[in-house]
Amino acid sequence: MTSPHLHINGIRKTFGDVVATDHVELEIGEGEFMTFLGPSGSGKSTTLYILAGFQDPTAGDIRLRGKSILQTPSHKRNIGMVFQRYTLFPHLSVGENVAFPLRVRRAPQAEIAAKVKRALSLVRLDGFEDRMPANMSGGQQQRVALARALVYDPPVLLMDEPLSALDKKLREEIQYEIRRIHQQTGVTILYVTHDQEEALRLSDRIAVFNRGRIEQVGTGPELYASPATHFVADFIGDSAFLTGELAEVKDGRATLRFTDGTVLADVPMHGVGAQGGKAELMLRPERIDLSDTVGPPGASLPVTVEDVTFLGNNSAVTARTGWGEPLYIRLNFGHPMMASVSRGDKLHVRWQPQDAHVFTKE
Amino acid sequence: MLMNFDKLGAWRWILSGICALMALFLLLPILFIVALSFGNSRWLIFPPPGWTLKWYGELFADPRWLQAAFTSAKIAVIVMVLSVAIGLMASLALVRGRFRGREVLRGFFLTPMVLPVVIIAVALYAAFLRLGLNGTLVGFVIAHLIVALPFSIITISGALETFDPSIEDAAILCGASPWEARFRVTLPAISHGLFSAAIFSFLISWDEVVLAIFMASPTLQTLPVKVWTTLRQDLTPVIAAASTLLVLLTVVLMIAAALIRKGKSR
Amino acid sequence: MLSFLTPARRGSGLGMAMPALLLLLAFFVIPVAGLLSRSVTEPVTGLQNYETLLGSATYLRIFFNTFLVSGLVTLITALIAFPVAWALAIMPSRVAAVVFAIILLSMWTNLLARTYAWMVLLQQTGLVNRILMAIGIIDQPIQLTNNLIGVTIGMVYIMLPFMILPLYGVIKKIDPAILQAAALCGATKGQALRRVLLPLATPGIASGALMVFVMSLGYFVTPSLLGGTANMMLAELIVQQVQSLLNWGMGGAAAFILLVVTLALYALQLRLFEGKAR
Ligand SMILES: Nc1ncnc2c1ncn2[C@@H]1O[C@H](COP(=O)(O)OP(=O)(O)O)[C@@H](O)[C@H]1O
Ligand SMILES: [Mg+2]
Repeated sequence: MTSPHLHINGIRKTFGDVVATDHVELEIGEGEFMTFLGPSGSGKSTTLYILAGFQDPTAGDIRLRGKSILQTPSHKRNIGMVFQRYTLFPHLSVGENVAFPLRVRRAPQAEIAAKVKRALSLVRLDGFEDRMPANMSGGQQQRVALARALVYDPPVLLMDEPLSALDKKLREEIQYEIRRIHQQTGVTILYVTHDQEEALRLSDRIAVFNRGRIEQVGTGPELYASPATHFVADFIGDSAFLTGELAEVKDGRATLRFTDGTVLADVPMHGVGAQGGKAELMLRPERIDLSDTVGPPGASLPVTVEDVTFLGNNSAVTARTGWGEPLYIRLNFGHPMMASVSRGDKLHVRWQPQDAHVFTKE
Repeated sequence: MLMNFDKLGAWRWILSGICALMALFLLLPILFIVALSFGNSRWLIFPPPGWTLKWYGELFADPRWLQAAFTSAKIAVIVMVLSVAIGLMASLALVRGRFRGREVLRGFFLTPMVLPVVIIAVALYAAFLRLGLNGTLVGFVIAHLIVALPFSIITISGALETFDPSIEDAAILCGASPWEARFRVTLPAISHGLFSAAIFSFLISWDEVVLAIFMASPTLQTLPVKVWTTLRQDLTPVIAAASTLLVLLTVVLMIAAALIRKGKSR
Repeated sequence: MLSFLTPARRGSGLGMAMPALLLLLAFFVIPVAGLLSRSVTEPVTGLQNYETLLGSATYLRIFFNTFLVSGLVTLITALIAFPVAWALAIMPSRVAAVVFAIILLSMWTNLLARTYAWMVLLQQTGLVNRILMAIGIIDQPIQLTNNLIGVTIGMVYIMLPFMILPLYGVIKKIDPAILQAAALCGATKGQALRRVLLPLATPGIASGALMVFVMSLGYFVTPSLLGGTANMMLAELIVQQVQSLLNWGMGGAAAFILLVVTLALYALQLRLFEGKAR
């Protein structure tokens, strides 16, 4: 196999006692849109800054097209970046901002003019050359920053929460623009966000960060359908967790026993857990059904309905298991139970075997 | 309603009146000397019986005035350059540096501004007596620099604080070397601060009286020293002429400063 | 948030502060320390200079003059500056801009030029005396220079901007809604002024007053040109001791007293107003 376009190879970064990133390992293909998703403080920015050369890793390597770039100073890495904050040069016009990377590269005047025009047109700011940054909205400024980062055809474009300062509507508008620009230019993008919706909307693949480590890498549907860890399951989509004891573990499948004696057999399991250890069953509200009949063993539990809230096109049902843990179920409009379900009903939740996951608890 | 000018009723006129009187109080003495400089009364009768340019003639005929003005300008320009350069470096350390005692250092840098100039003047005079710097250009420059530097540091630090260092990072990622980023991005972006610091420093040096009185020698004196020694002898209208030219310079520099500020906000 | 050191910022440590630091150490700290030390070593080691300064009526008179003039100047500038700053904060901005231009012009006009103007205006045959006689307040020219009246007028003229500008900053920041609320609560204009606006402006007044007072204490040029040798102030005493009498011990002692008072008031200013702002 040929080497990947960009290889983040076992990056570790510590600040004194604080471990900012640990064993970050990722291969990114040319033209891929990769998103780092995770809560604040999980090490996403640190990884980007190491890529940009603003920080040196404590251990590990970064290879671009097979060659390590760690010894290359930031300004020679040729990498593009859009920052969270507005970083247009305040004393330069929009046109001169975009021309800046070309000027420091001593490009000929004609080439500069043509490329600036093309880059501004790419971000749909044709004719804004003479505007000063101070007279532009936040969204426009970030588009200029994008044009400035793309004008020299970087092999990788880094974006560190570029839209977090914008309001929701504008954010969605620019997300759409970024997707279009990605498709149009084919540039490799590393995008950082803590907003799962944004990650799902934009990315080819998502790397979920937690406490300095990557918990899972995959496409949006993969992460949703088969989360590898409790954290991923919790972070992507809605989920409920039921705690029990591992009665039996065999071939990556588990039998769970809950405190009131209820037993669920043959559920797919993630992580290593020994018999007798604690484990959690994860169920997604929209992937479980409410029924008055019991389902197949291992894919059904008896519950008591506690609350029903009508939300327009669906109803949110809160139920409680026999041992007292809450469980949430979403019933779409038109569901046979929707009209009849009410408080105190003794019913059964049922699911498809592949929709339940067991995570061992440490 | 006290913060709404239109709703103040009669108070509005009282306030405006006080404000107008105060403005006249500040402005009239300045206009008064300008007028006197063109009046033909040696005894400074006002309004003057007639008009003349002879005080300006006397001013320009006396080589000592020109000499003093030239010395002042020379010192002020050197002080301006040094004050901006050293002030810029100190500001970079104060705003960007990461070392202990940064706040203490900031306070220390500003003390020459707080202390009465007369103490600095006397202290420097004593020190310069030993070093043989009294009556030298170097002595003048050092003395003026000490009092100009705090203003320079305040102005440049202020500009630097509002400048997001991420912008410098962005320039570096765009391919500029760290020094290139500083010169092509940071310095131009804080140029209004640098210009203000330059104007402040120039004016402080140009107008400095107390230090200059101590630094001066019969052979080397600045314009304020010349005005000072003349003033102590008599109130000749030649001083009115000199003062008028000084006012003119102030107006020019104020307009320059205003233009810079306008350019920045554009 | 980005607290890391980027390559661009690695060079900006203490090293960049060195030129300023060395300059101030060599030509500010050491000379001032040298001057102060002479107050206890010349002509002989001991505190006799301080005893003379604080023990003789002549010198106490100088301290009295200094504090009297500084206090008067502070009081008068505060009384003028409050209504002016208030007016500036609320008047149409075009008019305010004109007033500001005048304030700045006067502030930046050469100090000697301004003092000269008052020397001419206040002299026996000067315009002020003639106007006062013309409107019948006096029938003989009165002595306005070479005494503390002249010094006070000249200093008020110079200090006014230093009181107006900070006070303006404080009043400008007051939310007009607070005074609208006071009016709706039933406060008359006088009550709103006394109970709301003035208390809110007090930090600005106090801060400006301290600054003007401190600056006045050490002022040299105006007192010596408008006050004459008979009515000396502290800064003049220092200069006289050093320059005319070559008495460095007494000069140093007077400088030390001025320095201590100045720094103490400055520290008070920082304590009172910096702490509150944060
Ligand atoms: N310069 C630094 N000094 C000390 N700790 C830091 C520094 N930069 C980041 N960290 C720590 O490293 C961790 C990861 O931070 P970061 O990469 O900024 O997270 P994210 O971008 O995912 O919010 C956090 O715990 C943060 O406090
Ligand atoms: Mg971050």
